[in-house]
Amino acid sequence: MYTGSLLLSVVVTTALAFAFTNGFHDTANAMATSIVTGALRPHSAVALAAILNFLGAFLSLQVAATIAQGIVDAGAITLTVIFAGLVGGMVWNLVTWYLGMPTSSSHALIGGVVGAAFIAAGASAVKGHGLLTKVLIPALLSPLAAGLVAVVGTSLVYLITRNVPERIRDRGFRVGQIGSASLVSLAHGTNDAQTTMGVVTLALIVDHTIGETASTPTWVVMSSAAALALGTYVGGWRIIRTVGKGLTEIRNPQGFSAESASAALILAASHQGFPLSTTQVCCGSIVGAGTGRRPAGVRWGMVARLVALWLITLPAAALVGAAAWLGARLIGGVQGVAVVFVMALIIALELYVAADLKPVNASNVNAVWRSKPEPSSDDTEATPTEGPTS
Amino acid sequence: MNDYLDLDILWKVLVTGLAGGAGLVAVYALGLAGLSAAAGRRPGGHRLPGLLLAGTCFLIVAAGVGMGLYLMLSR
Repeated sequence: MYTGSLLLSVVVTTALAFAFTNGFHDTANAMATSIVTGALRPHSAVALAAILNFLGAFLSLQVAATIAQGIVDAGAITLTVIFAGLVGGMVWNLVTWYLGMPTSSSHALIGGVVGAAFIAAGASAVKGHGLLTKVLIPALLSPLAAGLVAVVGTSLVYLITRNVPERIRDRGFRVGQIGSASLVSLAHGTNDAQTTMGVVTLALIVDHTIGETASTPTWVVMSSAAALALGTYVGGWRIIRTVGKGLTEIRNPQGFSAESASAALILAASHQGFPLSTTQVCCGSIVGAGTGRRPAGVRWGMVARLVALWLITLPAAALVGAAAWLGARLIGGVQGVAVVFVMALIIALELYVAADLKPVNASNVNAVWRSKPEPSSDDTEATPTEGPTS
Repeated sequence: MNDYLDLDILWKVLVTGLAGGAGLVAVYALGLAGLSAAAGRRPGGHRLPGLLLAGTCFLIVAAGVGMGLYLMLSR
């Protein structure tokens, strides 16, 4: 069983690497608004998010081993398919991080697994109905729902506090913003750490290391939570910048209403078992918060580019997943998986070096956003009496 | 309901989302309005009602957040 356990360790390592990319990809969801409005200093924000992510992972352990269930035929799942799916998700996460675009990590992972299962076991291994009802339809509806809630919330906030002096308003919404962002972090930790726990548990079951009905081992919970939290702490600054300044210039009341809308929807959806993407909800809320104050303040061109990337996330990750499976199969055995693993690391390194040519980090994350087409230099007007726009 | 979309769940999520994401947000904003009334310069003005309003609002928000967390964990 030596080669078997070696293969398993490569798969588990890849899963943890995926969780790490998942973490830094999603720091923006909870903290971008607090960082750009100055409610929290950049480093404090990522530290708080990391701690809450880690704690959130321990709050609920019920999902385990349900990743891609009902989407991919269980018989098609092998260790190599899981591995290739993880590589697909991870590589797509890194590419979109390089582009500074907040795309869904769970869609990337599902895409990777679907692509790998498709090429490994044929089209019949992919359940179209499951894919439609569990991924595509929720992906379409959740950002719209988040946007709607945030538009209503933001309009109400500006209406109700129009006569409140700036000092009280700013302070109040800073506190509210930190609170609601913390909730999003906690819920994110609960949902996303479970994705990785689910994958690792699935790998252990496929490998017969643990029984099919076994609960998630403690070391899996600990390592998944730690990888996610570490990624969150590193912070995907490129994405934070896009989410907090690129889509629209977020202010304190908007940051508060956007994070509250996200938190409420994520909590409600996970209670009802409605599978939505944290990233898409948060972006929808932020665009909604921008619209609720002043629709012209939203960079709609940026929103369109983001939606385009969301549309290709699943097929793109599927392509990488399929290629990773083919590569591993052509070389064969553990060596094949090891070679693909090293290649994925090389791609990661290259993207890191490429990103370093134009770095975004804690020091310049809040720099002025320069974009040619949209005339939204609204840094000058910040009157507390401003109501919602029609 | 429908084979592709459970409208029942969708409505529940949307209504809960609106109640928590927009309703509680408005209540919090109302609390801030209460605070600002209490901090008004005019002597004896709206100090007590303002504080009462703010206190009630913040309590409602805290209760709402607590309920949200409880619901998520009791799944």
